[in-house]
Amino acid sequence: MIEARGLTKVFRRADKPPGLAASVRHLVRPRYAEHTAVAGIDLSIGAGEAVAYVGPNGAGKSTTVKMLTGIVHPTAGEIRVCGLDPHRNRHANARNIGVLFGQRTQLWWDLPVRDSLALLRDIYRIPERRYRARLDELEPVLGLAGLLPVLARKLSLGQRMRADLAAALLHDPRVVYLDEPTIGLDVTARDAMRGFLRDLRRTGTTLMITTHDLGDIEEVCDRIVILDAGRIIYDGPVTAIKDRLARDRAVHFTLADACPGVDLSTDLPGSRTVAGEDERRVSVVFDRFVHGAGDVLAAMARHARVVDLSIDEPSIDDVVRRVYAGAIGDALPDRVR
Amino acid sequence: MRAHHRTLTRLAWGTVLAYRADFVLQLLGVAVQTVAVIAVWRVVTAGGTGSAAGLTWDQLKAYLLIAFATGTLMSGFTDWQLAERVLSGNVALELVKPVDYQLARFAEALGYVAGEVVVVLAMGTVLLVAFGGVPVPGGAQAVLFLISLLAVIPLKFGLIYLSGMACFWTESYYGVGVARVAVTNILSGALVPIALYPDWLQALCRLSPFPGIVSTPALVFLGEVGVAEAVRLIAWQFVWIAVLWLGARTVWRLAVTRFSAHGG
Repeated sequence: MIEARGLTKVFRRADKPPGLAASVRHLVRPRYAEHTAVAGIDLSIGAGEAVAYVGPNGAGKSTTVKMLTGIVHPTAGEIRVCGLDPHRNRHANARNIGVLFGQRTQLWWDLPVRDSLALLRDIYRIPERRYRARLDELEPVLGLAGLLPVLARKLSLGQRMRADLAAALLHDPRVVYLDEPTIGLDVTARDAMRGFLRDLRRTGTTLMITTHDLGDIEEVCDRIVILDAGRIIYDGPVTAIKDRLARDRAVHFTLADACPGVDLSTDLPGSRTVAGEDERRVSVVFDRFVHGAGDVLAAMARHARVVDLSIDEPSIDDVVRRVYAGAIGDALPDRVR
Repeated sequence: MRAHHRTLTRLAWGTVLAYRADFVLQLLGVAVQTVAVIAVWRVVTAGGTGSAAGLTWDQLKAYLLIAFATGTLMSGFTDWQLAERVLSGNVALELVKPVDYQLARFAEALGYVAGEVVVVLAMGTVLLVAFGGVPVPGGAQAVLFLISLLAVIPLKFGLIYLSGMACFWTESYYGVGVARVAVTNILSGALVPIALYPDWLQALCRLSPFPGIVSTPALVFLGEVGVAEAVRLIAWQFVWIAVLWLGARTVWRLAVTRFSAHGG
């Protein structure tokens, strides 16, 4: 569906030193600094795949998506989306793709949502019958019926996102790019959105999601591409990188009596015992491939009476945090893909 | 026009309705300004008994009414919206749709024009009642006037569209907008009939597209020009419509190339 080879984007930025004299000099002889946003990316995404595109701010995520959607043309490299060059065949490509920029809306602000959707129906030349059927398909997950007569500016953020998603998907695109699709949504709206995206995948739609939200990645995608400084530093299954980088699990104990100085590191080699908010609370962090939660509980029971416990599963959060912190180079001697 | 163009026109009209109070107030401001300009000319023509620029008081009144009408048509909305789309980067959303950007904006502009026609008719009536009637042309002159008035719409669109697109380069609209309005007001004859200008400025006006948006329909309405001259002026309007339309297409291509090179 999406094929990119050696995709590169170099921006030229005006290099304007501060001060009046310098800005006059810039007028006469402008100087530019080159900035490589994307440096030779190879990407191959098949039909029905859901790929999370992740990286710190400025890693080149948006630039990649802009190139794939045809908004920005690459400095070097080749792209084929459904067999088309998205920049050269912008209009033809536009019929195959759906795009949601979470921070922007394509709804007509002062008009009912229905009007914006009707415009898209006409733009994509969707026959009236197909249009109605499509709205019916989207209804159970997006709950559109209640939104259609509402002015776009009166929608809550969650409602706005649902309406915008409907707008992006109305023409049943084969490839969908979602840029921060759950940004600003509350927990319920976020869950509903993720459920919807999972369903969308099942219909064979290719999804590419750029997000900072780790729940989006774990619940919707099975493949993750991690970008840093314009290069792909990991491309592979979400579970594989979690097993590599997110090995730590934590058990949080509440004990019957204050138990200062308790330490399980001799019982469970390699584990760390961390004091909690008060002397009755203590957490044990351990490698889930070395110890089981049962071992940890048994070890703690030898030292103190356990009243309650909770377990933190490792999340992609840990992975991404380590990636952002620059730890991935050591942790990933080989690329999985 | 394709189906989505008609829908765009309808949606733009819907926006006018959504902001009808704001819209009417804004144009009321223009009407007040027109009243002021008419009052000044009344004094200049010695209380409506003399003449200025070869025009009698009644003719001047008619001229200023036409200037009000053409100034109102295709004003307000489209200008700023074009720039806003570029400056906010929302133009990216348009680039991922299979639409002809320029035609789409024109279809939208027509929806706003519909609202402006209503205002022109209402305010025009009030002004006529307040200042007395004006001589109305008939026959060929009336037909030519209507053609030249209709030509104002795509002509102004071309000018506004091009100035709105300047934001791709300037990254701010304020200066461009102010410059466009200033140049338009002077060169179009919106405030002062072009006949009152020094020869060199008149010559400059005649070559520019600007008289086509005020002076041409006004002069045709007044019968200040004969049929042959009227046809020539209208032809000049259409030449500029074509030049601006095609020029805007080229500029759009350059703008998109720039936008897609710099990332938007």
